[in-house]
Parts: sequence; structure tokens; C-alpha cells
Amino acid sequence: MARIDIERLSKIFPPPTKGGDPVTAIGDISMEIEGNVFVSVVGPSGCGKSTLLNILSGVETPTSGRASVTEGEREARLGYVFQDARLLPWRTVMDNMTYVRDDEGSAATEAAAHYLEMVGLSHTHHMFPGQLSGGMQQRVGIARAFSVEPDLLLMDEPFSHLDAITARSLRDHLQILWAATRKTVLFVTHDVVEAVQLSDRIIILAPGGVVFDDISIDLEHPRRVTDPKVATLQAEILARFEEMHPSSAAAELGA
Amino acid sequence: MSAVTPVIEQASSGRVRRFLTGPVGAQITAVIAFLLLWQLVTLIAPRVPTPASVAHFLYIEITGGPHGGIVTGQFWEHFAATLRYFSIGLLIGFTAGVLVGVVIGSSRIGQALLNDTVLVLLTLPAFVWAFLATMWFGISWQAPVVAVAFSSFPFVTINVAQGVRSITPELKNMSSAFGVSRRKRFRHLTLAAVTGYLFAGLRFAIIIGWNGILLWEWFSGQEGVGFRTRYWFDANRYRGFVGWVIVFIVFIVIVDRVLLNRLQARAFRWRDPGEVSDGIEQNGG
Amino acid sequence: MTETLAQAAPDREALALELRRTAAGSRRRRYLAVVGGWLAFLLVWWGLAALLGSEARLPSPPRVLQEVREILAGDFWTQFWASIVRVIAGFFAAVAIGTPLGFIMGRSRYWGNFLQAPVVVAGSIPGLTYAVMAFVVFGISFWGPVMAVGLISMPYVAINVAEGVRGVDRGLINMSIAYHRSEQQIFRNVVVPSVLPFIFAGVRLSFSLAWKVGTLTEVFGSSKGIGFQIRRNFQLFNMPAVIAWVLLFCLFMLLIERLVLVRLERRLFRWRQWERD
Repeated sequence: MARIDIERLSKIFPPPTKGGDPVTAIGDISMEIEGNVFVSVVGPSGCGKSTLLNILSGVETPTSGRASVTEGEREARLGYVFQDARLLPWRTVMDNMTYVRDDEGSAATEAAAHYLEMVGLSHTHHMFPGQLSGGMQQRVGIARAFSVEPDLLLMDEPFSHLDAITARSLRDHLQILWAATRKTVLFVTHDVVEAVQLSDRIIILAPGGVVFDDISIDLEHPRRVTDPKVATLQAEILARFEEMHPSSAAAELGA
Repeated sequence: MSAVTPVIEQASSGRVRRFLTGPVGAQITAVIAFLLLWQLVTLIAPRVPTPASVAHFLYIEITGGPHGGIVTGQFWEHFAATLRYFSIGLLIGFTAGVLVGVVIGSSRIGQALLNDTVLVLLTLPAFVWAFLATMWFGISWQAPVVAVAFSSFPFVTINVAQGVRSITPELKNMSSAFGVSRRKRFRHLTLAAVTGYLFAGLRFAIIIGWNGILLWEWFSGQEGVGFRTRYWFDANRYRGFVGWVIVFIVFIVIVDRVLLNRLQARAFRWRDPGEVSDGIEQNGG
Repeated sequence: MTETLAQAAPDREALALELRRTAAGSRRRRYLAVVGGWLAFLLVWWGLAALLGSEARLPSPPRVLQEVREILAGDFWTQFWASIVRVIAGFFAAVAIGTPLGFIMGRSRYWGNFLQAPVVVAGSIPGLTYAVMAFVVFGISFWGPVMAVGLISMPYVAINVAEGVRGVDRGLINMSIAYHRSEQQIFRNVVVPSVLPFIFAGVRLSFSLAWKVGTLTEVFGSSKGIGFQIRRNFQLFNMPAVIAWVLLFCLFMLLIERLVLVRLERRLFRWRQWERD
């Protein structure tokens, strides 16, 4: 059971151009996440969502405040799914799966095979990523993340580069995987509708990287977008989201 | 005061660094590094003469002075001899190249018949022409001219052909749609587009042709830069050998970078850089 | 309505058939043109040879063919082997020096700028210069051609490697960091495979040049190899032999470049055929 502790975190980047202003990716965020929950962080681009994940995974360091990810007494083991699959194009699918593991040999390949089967890609062990479609590559990316049996799974807008149909399938695959393994997931997205379908808890960020709202969702998993209960909740929360991030055409539509 | 000086120092060290990494500074550094490397090599390979001795030799060779009984001071005569045959051969090779290039570029039959032959000729290195020229013409003035002409010809041809081909059918259609007279069309369209390629071809022709005549003179000549290089080599006077090697390298580098690069840049003003063709980059002997 | 549809269908079929026929036709015409070009070349050669009359001036194609057969049956392969070994050794040197050089150039902007000019200058020095330099330093030996080949190919390798290093996918590196891969693992699994195709490209691009320069160095300073054979027959004024050796020289240059190297590249980098960029 992983635990994320974020205390007054901020991240400010130096100005991109000479004489410009520094960029505040994260203004001041505090949050606690504990247990095997699926948490989404929602906000438009530039809200610091990806930066948050980078800090949690150790790629970036905070400007101030602290963030820690623990599993009991030790540091949590992380899995990471990116917007693009980030598979090594010169290695087979199986080699890509075993690359991120610390063990070797048959233990590694068996584990990899198990997770590939869960996303329906058992037939691709010896194929190269270039031979797979974008959706299939992302499925490998997700299987890879799950296969390291992480305490915490970080997902950075993993479906935003896929077409709607493929994305829907992958959300279903993700729900299946999550139901089977029940990890802690921190899922970053700009799509509130997607967040409502997948998460137990939604944290909405405001521009400047601060928390706007923190909503709990109490529907049972797995959730299908065809379910009217899900759809109603999506409309409600979308309305809440629009209070912070209104559509630029809102006035004209008489909202 | 102490707050100001560090800032100034920083600025000047920044400038020095920028100069060193700029094109001019880097080249100068490269030359110096090369000279140092050369000096080092002389310690390992005893036959290699030092830069200083070579410089001294060149001084004597050019100004004419005592050099162990060997005649010196004819530097400019030898240079002129080489240049003479070089230019004639280049002229022939260039003219032939333009003619054949236009034929290949403008007619599909011409391309089908001639293109592969020219490609084969492209693969023949300059020393082959040096040999063939001697076997055909012996030791005469025709031989070096032929060597230069044949080695430079394919490069001109390939580039001119591409230049002519680059006049896309659309351009041709456009000017015939507007009823521009034929001569005007030729001048403005064809010539302008081809000029850039002409210069590229000329540049490679000069480099290869220069290799060609040096090789010919080395193996068969009785005068000229290549001959003189061979002369000192046979006499086991390596500083003479290396000195003349430097002469011909410096000459071609100056001609290429100073003269031709400028001309080519001007001719190609209307085009993106990097679209020049060199057939296959071939500077080999 | 159905009538016009039925009419349209055979029309479409007829059109498709017509297009396929003309496409095949134009391909056939191109083959014929190329073959015609070669025939023209041979005929002109033959004609000129007949005109000039003497084998010392221009031997006829059959005469050259006979010579080629003799050479192939004779010691061609020893000479070819001598030459190719030097070229391969030279490439090893070029890769050994050019790869680390390219790495430094690619990873550090300062060194990239600093080394760019000398490397480019080194790449534009005519092969003749390197052949002569190698000859001066090594005299008549195996190492002369090796050094010349190494020097002329090294800039190609270095520049390509620099490109490859600059182009290493940052995303893959970040992914590796996120999964706590060690520096060694990242180097072996991300950096090296990214750069390897560029090294190979540097070799492939400079091959014909290296082959020529190596042969030229042999012409000056060698007692074995194709270049030496050409010079020897030149000194004997044996025109058919000179032409025969030159032809073999070109033939093998093209064969190795087009067949061996291209095929090798495809096999080594099988994964690239499916890459979409």
C-alpha cells in the first residue's frame, strides 16, 4: 500500500528566454494519497501535471516543499506509463518488458509473458515495436509498468495520443489490469470525462499549479461509459471543472 | 574596483572562448594543433622532416639558394608549367562536360544512353587517368591535358545534368504558357538554374583535375609541381618532398575555399544550401 | 441506374488494366534503355578499338575480357584480399578514433563547435594528400594504406556519430531513469543502439572513397594489392592488363558498396524497416 505525501510543493523553472519571467509549473500543492486507490490529477496543459509526476519519479527536483512516495518504511517502487509508449525500437517486445526488471532469465520472461497476456499481446513477444500499432505499443507500455509490480503506478496522459476508439479499449484494458492487481495509481490527464470513468478520487488543478478541488467518486469498478450513472457523474464533475477552466466559447453559448 | 574587474575579465574570457570556437579561431587552432602533431610524429618516425626544416627548404626553393648542388629557384616556372596544362585540360573537360551534361539532362534517350557510362567514369580514380594518358600519349604535353580532362569531365557532366533536370516541366510550361520567346526562355530559365550546378561541377572538376595532373607529373612528368615532388623524393630529400606536398595542398585549399566557395555562394544565392550535388563525394586520387 | 452502374464497372476495369499495362510498359522501356546504354557503350568501345587498331592504344572488349579471365584465374584473389584487408583495418581505425570523437562532439556543445571545423576540413582534404602522407610516414608497408583509409573515413564516422549522439531519444533516457536503470544499462540499451546505425552509415558513405584512396596508396607504396598491380602493369606498358585490373577494381568497389554493405545494413538494423519516421 503506497503512500504519497506532498507538502507545499512548488516547482519554478527559469525563464525560457532571456529577460522573460520564470515559469511556475507548480505553485503550492499539498496532498496525501494512501491505499490502493486510483487517483486522477486533472487540469489543462501547462498546469504542472507532468512536472508533478517528474518530481515523484525523481526526474526533477522540487524548488521548495517536499514530496515522498513510500511503501511502509521504504521508498516505493514505481511504474511509469508515458504519453508515448517509449519502447526501445531496437529491442523486441519481450526484451522491452525485461529491460525494466532487475531480475533475469526465466523469472523475468515468465512475468513479462504473464502481463503481456493480460493485455492481449501474447503473440507479439518477438516482434519489434515498429510492427505494432500505436495502441498496441501503449498496451505494451502499460503491461511493462505493471510487470515491475510497482507500489505506485504513475501514468502521464497515456491515452491522449490515441484515437478515441483505441483509447476506449485501452481504458478497459487498464481497468482489467487494475482490478486484478489493485495498485495505487496516480493518473494525470486533461480529460475530466476520462478521469471520472477511471478514478476513485479526482484532484482538479488550477492554473499556476495549485489545487482547486478534490472530489471523491464512489461508483463501483469497472465502469463503462455506456452506464448512465457514469455519464451523469461525468456531466456533474465536468460542470465543476468548467467553473475553473471555462470554455472560451462559454459566453456565446449562454452558459 | 574589485567588483568591476572580475566582470571585465569574464567578458573578455567569454570573447576569447567565442573566438576560439568560432569558425576562424577553430581553424587556426586546428592548424596549430596539426603542426604540433606533426612535430610529435617526427619524434616517432625519423624519416619525417620537421615543420621548421620544410619551411626553410621552401624558402630556398622559392628564392633560389644553395641546396647541395641541386638547382633551385625555379619554383614559379614549375608552378606555371603545371598550371598551364591544368587549365587547358580543365577547359576541355569542362566544355565536354557541359555539352554531354545538357544532353543527358534534357533528353531521355540521351540519359538512357550516356548516363551509365558517365557513372562508370565517375568511379575511376584520377590515378587511372594519369596512367592511361601516359600509355596513350607518352611524355608529351597532351598527356597531362588528357589526364585532367578525363578525370574532371564526369563531375561536370553529372552536375550539369542535374541542373538541367532541375528545370522542372512546370517551369517550362509556365514560360510557354506566357508566350515568352525561346531565346529569352533559355537565358533566364535554363541558364540561371544551371549556373549553380555549373559551379558545383566546376569545383569538383578543379579538385579532381588537380589530383590528376599531380599524379601524372609524379609518374611521368619532366617538369611541374608533381614532377618536382617526385624529384626530391627520389633524391631522398624528404623535406623537399614534403615541402612540395604542402605547396600543392595549400594551393588547392586556397583555390577551393577562398575562390570557389565565394563564387558558389553567389551563384547559389537563390537556393537552399545543402542541395548541391557532388555525384558521390569523391576526392580520392 | 443499374444499367449505368454496370457500364461504369467494366469501364473502370478497363482503365485499371490500361494503367497497369502502361506502368509495366514504361518499366520495360526503362530496362531497355539501360541495356541500350550499356550496349552503346560497348559498341563505341569496340568501334574505337577497331579504329585505333593496336591493343596498346585501346584493347577491344573481348581482349580485355580474356585478360580479366586470366587474372581471375590467377592471383586475383590474393591481391584483392591484400587490398580489402587494408581497407577493413583502415575502417577499424576510423571507427576507433571517429566514434569517441563523435561522442565528444555530440554530447558537448563546446567541443562540437570546437572540433566541427577541423573535422570538416579533414574530410575535404583530397585523398591524394592522405595517400602521400601515409606514404611518407610508413613508406612501403601494410600500414600506409591503412592510415590513409582511416584518415579519410574518420571525419565521416565522427560527424555521423555526433549526429547520432545528438539525436538519442531523450524520452527513452527519461523512461530508463524513471525505471531506475543504471548508467551502464542506459548506455548499452539506449545510447549504443541509437548510435550504431550512424557509425555504419559513416562507413558506408565513405567506402568508395576509402577504396580509392587505399588503392592509390598502394600505387605509391605497396608490394601487393590491386593498386600495386595497376602500377606494375603500367610500368610494363601492358594496356590490356591495366584496363582489366581497373575494371575489376571498379566492379568490386560497386559490388561491395551496393550489395555487401547495403545488405549488411539491412540485416543489422532489421528493426528500422518498421520505423515510421
